[in-house]
Amino acid sequence: MKKIHNYHLLYFITPLIFFVLFSGKAFAQVDSTATDSLLLKQIEQQMGNDQKQPPAQQKRSGISTNPDIGVVADFGASYLSTAKRKVDAYLNETEVSFQSVVDPYIRADFFVSFSRDPETHKYGVDVEEGYLTTLSLPYKLQLKAGKFKEALGRINTVHAHALPFIDLPNAYVNYFGEEGLNDEGASISWLLPTKKVYQELIFQATAGNSQSPSFHRGDSAGFTYLAHLKNFFTLNENSTLELGITGITGPNAASGNTNILAGDLTYKWKPVKMNTYKSLTWQSEFFYSNAKYSGTASNSFGLYSFLQYQLAKRWFMTGRYDYAQKPYDKSIVEQAYSVTAGWYATEFQKIELEGKTTNLNVDPGYNQVWLRWIFVIGAHGAHQY
Amino acid sequence: MKKISFILALIFAAFAVANAGTIKVVTTTTDLKSITELIGGIKVSVSSIATGYQNPHFVDPKPSYIISLSNANMFVTVGLDLETGWSPQLLSSSRNSKIQKGAAGYVDASDGVGLLQVPNSVNRGEGDIHIYGNPHYWLDPLNGKVIARNIADGLERIDPANKVFYETNLHAFFASIDVKMKEWQAKMAPYKGSKIIAYHNEWVYFERRFGLEIVDFMEPKPGIPPSPSQLVKVIKEVKANNIKAIISSPYFTTSSSDVVAKQTGVKELTLATSTGAFPTIKTYLDLFDYNIEQLVAVLK
Repeated sequence: MKKIHNYHLLYFITPLIFFVLFSGKAFAQVDSTATDSLLLKQIEQQMGNDQKQPPAQQKRSGISTNPDIGVVADFGASYLSTAKRKVDAYLNETEVSFQSVVDPYIRADFFVSFSRDPETHKYGVDVEEGYLTTLSLPYKLQLKAGKFKEALGRINTVHAHALPFIDLPNAYVNYFGEEGLNDEGASISWLLPTKKVYQELIFQATAGNSQSPSFHRGDSAGFTYLAHLKNFFTLNENSTLELGITGITGPNAASGNTNILAGDLTYKWKPVKMNTYKSLTWQSEFFYSNAKYSGTASNSFGLYSFLQYQLAKRWFMTGRYDYAQKPYDKSIVEQAYSVTAGWYATEFQKIELEGKTTNLNVDPGYNQVWLRWIFVIGAHGAHQY
Repeated sequence: MKKISFILALIFAAFAVANAGTIKVVTTTTDLKSITELIGGIKVSVSSIATGYQNPHFVDPKPSYIISLSNANMFVTVGLDLETGWSPQLLSSSRNSKIQKGAAGYVDASDGVGLLQVPNSVNRGEGDIHIYGNPHYWLDPLNGKVIARNIADGLERIDPANKVFYETNLHAFFASIDVKMKEWQAKMAPYKGSKIIAYHNEWVYFERRFGLEIVDFMEPKPGIPPSPSQLVKVIKEVKANNIKAIISSPYFTTSSSDVVAKQTGVKELTLATSTGAFPTIKTYLDLFDYNIEQLVAVLK
């Protein structure tokens, strides 16, 4: 039936096309309105222009619309004093990035991670981040939607390979896990109209599909909400100060609710003239958590503070102090000291060695050593300041 | 409450009056700022992200730059991947659709520049290479004219009412380049073919325009710090060719050229790569005055 119907349509359309094709000229001549003939003249003129021969031997463009593709690999080795298998070596993570502007209104960024499970030593694939960002919203707003590292202070938004140490601070891992706060949802950010100080207010609502020790969505509970205010001060040409405050609230795994207040403070000194040879960064974050686990409330606190000094063009030293109370029991306290030496061969390769000693007030402490060799091929976007 | 809103309205009104008429331009480098000021005159207020004594490849994308970008009517970039490590990130964070790539307020100063060292193949094993060609093209004053044309086009796109004003200034700029060019070439003429060593591969346009010959670089490959074997090679070349100068930029250390100078007696010259590199270099034209004066003094 359908076919017969289509044939009917063809019988109707074909003569119509012929009619339009052959009568076009006649129609144009018959037309008498002044504006239409003006338009026609313009079109004819344009057509005349187009008929000009293009210059001979034009170079063909090799440009494609493929996104920028990059691969960051992280080869590592580790030592843990209390483990059965004290020394290990592995290709820790391979991150593939695809980044491009979609159209005049949005851009898209994807980071696919092939990483090794520390327990099973098996590799798994995960979309580490995948989000769109608007480019042309009014009122200095920017909307982000997808899976993204949330705007919690400083280290949460940074990819592991770009951090100046190999392990993550204890307090951060206790509250947000090794993967950090990284979830699916939407984010809106507003650039405040202040002139002297850069101020950005971010509000994020996430579905809680990715689990972290503090936030986990059950079947009936609601979203996790985060608000962050970033304040960036230029002290002088060579030094800057960033002060941030974050509040997060959302359901946890024990069918209760977790509220976290976090603060971050970063001072950077980087002489503009010799910025590739010398720099200093002092960065600290604190986390205060108020969590309800099946009716009982638990308050806890944790912080880290690190100082990084660039000794020469390729050499960086970082010392870090960690203090962490366990989120479910603040009487259990971890303290750790670590030192990382980094050799940054080029923008595309660095080798780092970290030693860390952890002291616990309830159990014996332990020592760890890590080595990582990070390398990048393909495109690699700029890191945040 | 009424009082407060009245005061706020007054502040906004004062602000609007203060900003009326001036086109806010943000440039990536000071040379582009200087040329924009020469073309735009009183109609523009210009700020540059990089300073004149800073390596334009490695500018830190501080959030404070986003403030000026978010309020800008026009953005001018050197282009050709010179600023690829920092400007795209700042642009996409600016939330300003007027200055995004493809918009009327986006000016790529390299449009129409005859490029040198455009690679046929790309391999990072060769160091920091530029896939579109060497981006240090502003160091040829004649390319300054192309830059100025691109900037004038940008200003005329967003402010067509003042087209005549911009065109007049543009032609005045062309004329001053022509006059200066004769003076610079006359000064450099006796030293045509002089062999020199450079720290980094950023002088090729300057070298071609003023008839110098760069024999080698202190860096074994672009972006790779001088190695002992490279220093040995350079010392031999300086001795063999009777080379009189090693030219460098304000943002590189002199420790390796100090070694070569000690061994051979060659003079070390820190030339200006951009306007504002040294306090006396206030405009794009001063840049060449300074560099040529320095070179002539050493090559004599």
